[in-house]
Amino acid sequence: MHPITTKGRDSMHSHAGRGRTAVAQARLVLLIMVNVAQLWILAATVEAALAHRFSALLPLVIASGICFVVTLTLIFWWRPASRHYTSSGYLKR
Amino acid sequence: MSSKLSETIDKVLTKSRHDDSDVRAATAPYQTDFPHDRDEEAQVTRREFCNFLGLTSAALFVGATGFAGKAALDARRAETFTPAKIEGAQALAPGTSLNFRYPTQKDTAILVRSLDGSYHAFGQKCTHLSCPVYFDRHHQRLECPCHEGAFDARTGDVLHGPPPRPLDVVNLEVRGNGEVWAIGRIAASGERLI
Repeated sequence: MHPITTKGRDSMHSHAGRGRTAVAQARLVLLIMVNVAQLWILAATVEAALAHRFSALLPLVIASGICFVVTLTLIFWWRPASRHYTSSGYLKR
Repeated sequence: MSSKLSETIDKVLTKSRHDDSDVRAATAPYQTDFPHDRDEEAQVTRREFCNFLGLTSAALFVGATGFAGKAALDARRAETFTPAKIEGAQALAPGTSLNFRYPTQKDTAILVRSLDGSYHAFGQKCTHLSCPVYFDRHHQRLECPCHEGAFDARTGDVLHGPPPRPLDVVNLEVRGNGEVWAIGRIAASGERLI
């Protein structure tokens, strides 16, 4: 049985770190995209209200609500996995 | 002497490069009582930015819900109108216009007297984004200065531009002595919730 060297452990750490950074950045990009979509929905809601197109209001509000729920899930649940609980276990001692 | 001076300069330069706390102490006394880390202040963490995006999302959702709710409530409200005399309408020359407020002081409206002498009145808010429309004497039509929308001065129908529906129509009544009275106001076409 070969012990894990310090160099090998650092390499695994940086590999995991890169993966976590990529996931965190993807999460951030998704959040921004959802915000932009919600901004568009708000503009469409204002225009529909002024045009008295009342049948379009409810779907737009529901769409905005779905975007908000997606944002909440991205913030509270969709996070990079903790290195203490990875399935491979290579960071655990 | 010069060696001492250069030594002091070196010392100050070295300190300012590596130790920021002395610079703060030299600039203002209160900064020693309330120390802060300049580098930390200048940065926003990923977590803070995510929270900001979350709050923005909540604000946009509340805004869309509020706007839609208010529009729906306004449409459901059954309005009763009190007839009101439009002051100065009798003296209005053909081919000109007059601004007035109806049914409340908040609701601006525009009275147009056509070249044939007939009166027409409309809500002054453009149906696109609520800019106030004005009467263009040259073209004898109502125009919106914001996005170049135009409305027919007799019917309020959209002639061109982005407005999605005609102007609100103010119903008029010309009484025996030539007085012009506003007796009602309706949102032209568009869907109704009631």
